Amino acid sequence: MEQGYLLIIASSLAIGLTAGFVMHRADFCVTASFRDMFLFRNFFLIRQMVLLVVISMVLFETGRLANVISLYPFPLLGAPSLANAVGGFIFGIGMVLAGGCVVGSLYKMGSGSTASALAVAGMLGGSAAYAEIHPQWSAFAKSTVLLKDAITVPQWLGMSPSALLVPLAAGGGIWLVREFRAGRMSRPGFAKGHLAPWRAAVILALLGFASYVVIGMPMGITTSYSKLGAGIESLFAPAHVEHLAYFSLQPLNYTPPFFDHAIQGGPGPRLDAIAAIQYPLIFGIIGGAMVSALRLGEWRLQWRLPRRQLLSVLSGGLLLGLAARMAPSCNVWHLWGGVPILALQSLLFVAGLLPGTWVGARLLTRFVVR
Amino acid sequence: MTQTIDIDIRGQICPSCLLLALKELNHHGAAVRAGSIEIVVTTDDRQATATIPATAERMGFRTEVTRLDDGYRIRIFGAT
Repeated sequence: MEQGYLLIIASSLAIGLTAGFVMHRADFCVTASFRDMFLFRNFFLIRQMVLLVVISMVLFETGRLANVISLYPFPLLGAPSLANAVGGFIFGIGMVLAGGCVVGSLYKMGSGSTASALAVAGMLGGSAAYAEIHPQWSAFAKSTVLLKDAITVPQWLGMSPSALLVPLAAGGGIWLVREFRAGRMSRPGFAKGHLAPWRAAVILALLGFASYVVIGMPMGITTSYSKLGAGIESLFAPAHVEHLAYFSLQPLNYTPPFFDHAIQGGPGPRLDAIAAIQYPLIFGIIGGAMVSALRLGEWRLQWRLPRRQLLSVLSGGLLLGLAARMAPSCNVWHLWGGVPILALQSLLFVAGLLPGTWVGARLLTRFVVR
Repeated sequence: MTQTIDIDIRGQICPSCLLLALKELNHHGAAVRAGSIEIVVTTDDRQATATIPATAERMGFRTEVTRLDDGYRIRIFGAT
C-alpha cells in the first residue's frame, strides 16, 4: 500500500480513537445540545458547540493564511440548495428519536449501548435505502440550487474569508469569555472520569483541524454508512445493488495534502478513498469509547429497552441515514467543519436542523418517553 | 418516615432519565420538598449524573450522586 494511504488510515484511526474517548468521558452529545434547548430550555451544551465552532473558525482560518491548509473550501462541499435545509430538518427529527446523531450513536454504541447499536443499524438501512430515491432527490436538489457559483458566504459576497471570519470569531470569543466568567461554561460532573465538556470542545476542534491539515477535510463519516449498507445489501441482492446508479457515483475526487495524484471514492461498496478516510474514523470512535468505558469499569451491554423506545431508535436511525444522504452529510461534518468556514450548505443544514430538532422533541415526549 | 420512589432507567435512551425524573418531581414536588418523599433514580447514563442534579437543584431540591457496580444512583430530596 502506498505511504499516502497509510498516513490517511493511521491518522483517521488516531483521530477517531481520541474523539471517541473524549466524547465518552465528556458525554459530548450534539443531539442533546440541540434537543435540550427545546426540551428543557437548557443552553449549557449548545454553548460548548459555539465554543467548538469558534475555535475551529480560528484554527481553519489561521491554517489557510499560513498555507497549512491547502484545499479551501474543502472537498465534497457544493452549491447550496433547498435540499440541504430539508435534509437538516429530517436529520433533526431522526437524531432526537434515535437518542444520538451519527457520531454520538457510535460512541454510545462503543460504550455498550444496544439502543445506539440499533440506531446505527437503522442508519445503515436508511443510507442504503436512499439509493432507491437518489434520481428523484438529486433532481430536486439541482432544481432548487440557490446560488450557482458560491460555496461559502465570503465567496457569495465577494469578500476575503478573513474579512468576515475575523470579526465573527472575535465577537464569538468575547461572548464566550463572558460566559466562562459568569460560570455558565461548566457544571459539576459526578460521573467517574468526567471530562468537562469545554475541554472536550477544545480537543475536538484540534482533532478537526488535524484532520483538515493531514487528510484535507474535517471529520465526516456518513458516506461510509451508505458503503456499509450497500455492502450488506449486496450480500442479499447483488444484482440490484449493481444496478443502482447512486452506488456507482464517485463524488470524492481530490488530491490530498500528502499525495502527488488524485484519489477517488463514493458510496458504493468498494474499498476506495472514502473507505480509507472514514472506516478507520468510525472504528476509532467506537474503539475509543470502548477503551474509555472499559478503563472506568463501566462497559456493559444493556438490553432492557422498552418497546416504544426500540421503535423510536430504529425509525430515528432510518431517518438519520436517509437524511444524511439527502442533506448530504451529517451534523458533525456541517457544524464542526462547514460552519467554521461559513459554507452555505452547512448554514442551510443547521437552519433545517433547528426546527427538525423541535419536531423530534415534540414527538419524543408525545409518543416515546411518557 | 420518608417514602422512596425508585425509578430504574438503565438501558433507556437519552433523555429518558431527566424526563422521567422531572415527571416524578412534578407529581410529588411538594412532598419531596417537605421531606416525606424522596426520588431515587438508577441509571447508566453518565450525562444524567450532571443534568439531573443541575436541573433539580435549580428547582430548589437537593441531590446526591453515588456510583453503583452497574451505573449511578441519583437521590433527589428536599428538606433536611
